[in-house]
Amino acid sequence: MRINQGRRILVAPLFLLALVAARSAGAQKAPPARLAASIHRIFGSGASFDSVAVDSLHVLRVTQGDSLLGFAEVSNVKGKDQPITFLVAIDPSDHLKDVDVLVYREPYGGQVAYEQWRRQFRGLTAADSVRVGHPIRSISGATISVHAVTSGVRRVLAQLTDRHRRGLLQ
Amino acid sequence: MFENYSQLIFHPVTRKVGSMSLPTKSVAGLLILFASTLTLPAAAQDTQSTTIGGYGEIHYTNATGPDSPGEVNVARFVVYLAHSFSDRLAMRSELEVEDTKVEGGEPGGEIGLEQLYLDYRFSPAVTLRGGLLLPPIGIINETHEPPTFNGVNRPAYDHDVIPTTWRDIGVGVLGTIPGNSGLNYRVYLVNGLKASGFSADEGIRGGRQEGKEASFANPSLTGRLEWVRPGLTLGGSFWYGGSAAQDPALGTGAFDNAVTLLSADARYETGPFAFRGEVATIGIADADQIDAAYGNGVAHRITGGYLEASANLLAGLAPNSSQKLLAFARHERFNTQGDLPGGATGDPVLSRRITTVGLTYLPTFNVAIKGDYTFNRNRSDTAQPDVFALGLGYAF
Repeated sequence: MRINQGRRILVAPLFLLALVAARSAGAQKAPPARLAASIHRIFGSGASFDSVAVDSLHVLRVTQGDSLLGFAEVSNVKGKDQPITFLVAIDPSDHLKDVDVLVYREPYGGQVAYEQWRRQFRGLTAADSVRVGHPIRSISGATISVHAVTSGVRRVLAQLTDRHRRGLLQ
Repeated sequence: MFENYSQLIFHPVTRKVGSMSLPTKSVAGLLILFASTLTLPAAAQDTQSTTIGGYGEIHYTNATGPDSPGEVNVARFVVYLAHSFSDRLAMRSELEVEDTKVEGGEPGGEIGLEQLYLDYRFSPAVTLRGGLLLPPIGIINETHEPPTFNGVNRPAYDHDVIPTTWRDIGVGVLGTIPGNSGLNYRVYLVNGLKASGFSADEGIRGGRQEGKEASFANPSLTGRLEWVRPGLTLGGSFWYGGSAAQDPALGTGAFDNAVTLLSADARYETGPFAFRGEVATIGIADADQIDAAYGNGVAHRITGGYLEASANLLAGLAPNSSQKLLAFARHERFNTQGDLPGGATGDPVLSRRITTVGLTYLPTFNVAIKGDYTFNRNRSDTAQPDVFALGLGYAF
């Protein structure tokens, strides 16, 4: 059945609507491909990972062959009005390896995704200060997101370190 | 960072839908498509959320010295209301009450929509926006929550040169330039200014239409490019548009009596120290026509700027505290009658030199308790009263 010209005019907005609705689905989680890309960027392209359920957390255990590379966790914090989905990765000695912003949804404050800001977290441990001003420098115009992500990283770093030290991430 | 962003945008279900080509699509295919839109809202619903926020500031101002009472005022109470219809489509708004209430026949008081727009985010690089917008000019117009600036009042420059809070109806696009470029941009096409409201002492301020049943005779282009590093933000902004508003005395063209604004700003933080500065120049080429029509003393050029430095006094005393006590000094210079038509000399009173010193205490980053003293000087011998002010402000 071919669609005539008149119907096609109706079809176009319907198609757009469907596209918008489909693209809108599924928030607050990182798409699997994005998550895998992040793990490979942080731990190297040979890394593989599986999920360990501990308490209410889903911790990713990252390995390459028989060797343990570290752990990672995906979490959300609230920005001005939308969740920010981020990942924190630690190495086997509980030093923060890197932070990634997996999904940023707001029109302002997206500067927290810049490598120049995220790299300030590398090497920190749960015993260190992880606060805006010391040692994390803020970004003018992104103050809310900077505070939200920094406190989120502090929380996740403490959770990962605690579960790892208690031997729950085997 | 977003090298794989396409993976963020396209969910598997979208890929399937997108692979059907529209011209050859069968009605059966359409029904499936339509059915998929019916089943999707359930999934999309998890992403709906409503956010209430806001900011406010309460001022004590004394311009008359210690022997007479000052004035107290709830300068602003603003409710921020946002709703996300989906992960990508959101409404954002700010509704403001100035001076506590509006009463017939009484001066002061305003209830106004400060912002009301819809955003549709295609990607971090492209968000489409339409509604009542803030022209992205300088530091304060877009980021005006009281804990973000020193001083009880916004800089006087941000009243008389940049008419904050400047807002008008329009459409635009904004985003961050992908990669780690550190660049973000906004470009809007908005309703223009109205020259009949321009004045000698407040420049273009009275020409704002603010979206109130406004004449849409002079669409104007405004935008900003910003470069960001941790601790450093540099920005440049512009506005270009006509202001004739179809007044036969001025002209009926869209760009008649054009106003051209250029500004540059910088913010830098290092350790306990923070610095910010901004300059702007506004050109009104046909100021002679405007003065002839309205006699409002508008100059061809309005220029100005300010520099501010602050130090966190708690940095040495309590380095691990998230509280801050900022001591600051700000010097502003601006002239709203820089270059009068016909070579006349501008009123030296309007060439202002304002210095403000004070303290800002931030018990947490979004609450500010402020005190300052402002020396109001100008190029004439006429002294303006100095002002002592106290303020409470918050944002969330």
